[in-house]
Amino acid sequence: MNPGPQTITHLFGKSYLPVTDTLIIGWVSVILIIILAKYLTSDLKLRPEGKQNIAELFITAVYDQIEPMIEGEGWKFLPFIATIFIYIGFSNLIGLVPGLPSPTADLNTTLGLALVVFLVSHFEGMRDKGIWGYIKSFGQPVIFLLPLNVVGELAKPISHSFRLFGNIVGGGIIITLIYQAAPGLIPVPLHAWFDLFIGLIQALIFGMVAIAYIAVAKQ
Amino acid sequence: MIEFSPGTIEMIIRSVSVIAAGLALIAGVGPGIGMGYAAGKATSGVRRQPEARGAIVTTMLLGQIISGSTGIYSLVIAIYLVFA
Repeated sequence: MNPGPQTITHLFGKSYLPVTDTLIIGWVSVILIIILAKYLTSDLKLRPEGKQNIAELFITAVYDQIEPMIEGEGWKFLPFIATIFIYIGFSNLIGLVPGLPSPTADLNTTLGLALVVFLVSHFEGMRDKGIWGYIKSFGQPVIFLLPLNVVGELAKPISHSFRLFGNIVGGGIIITLIYQAAPGLIPVPLHAWFDLFIGLIQALIFGMVAIAYIAVAKQ
Repeated sequence: MIEFSPGTIEMIIRSVSVIAAGLALIAGVGPGIGMGYAAGKATSGVRRQPEARGAIVTTMLLGQIISGSTGIYSLVIAIYLVFA
């Protein structure tokens, strides 16, 4: 539930470096995820039991998503993609608590994540094809399409970030309107839909699109 | 030529931008039809080849993501028109 980020305080003076509530919640969720990951992976055993099963189930599920699209390099990209999955999923689930904003309902968060994916995909493309092959790939299939290809590449992080931002903010606005019109039990199924279902699906989609962008850049 | 006071002009701009936000959401029709069509095709594909379910669902989701972007753009434009 979040109709948009609110400025809480400024880091320097009265108007420099505004600190929004989404930023604070984002950092808190990073710390919580680190603690959770440390707890889940403490004293690993060869024969998994208890909490280790949960961690292995998650890691295997992410690996099964990456391996068919980027063949042979599933383990290499696993930490990056799994981090995106965990951070976005956790951030979207924070919206379940009434009054707390999801960090992903802020364009700064989603655009930052999308730019990281953009840089990683282009770096991987450059390493796979070499500098000259990378530059030549923009002139495919005909040299006339060069400006179109450049614009298409630049549109990728924009649509990637706006998709997550639009979904989360749209759900937050609808839930906030319902809270003002009919507080009580009525918003509960909306929370289940917008925060649980849409939130987890969007985390999956963001990660899958990241895999697809990297796979396309490597071809 | 009628002269409007600044307050009236402000009010006209606000009301027109709210109407424009509503009109921008008409763009939601297209992605809805397209995504539903993709889901229907994927369903018939799963019925024909149930063993290829995982690959079909992944491909369907990717296609729906791409075709759903236009709806998200219209939503962002509508939010911008209402709040700015």
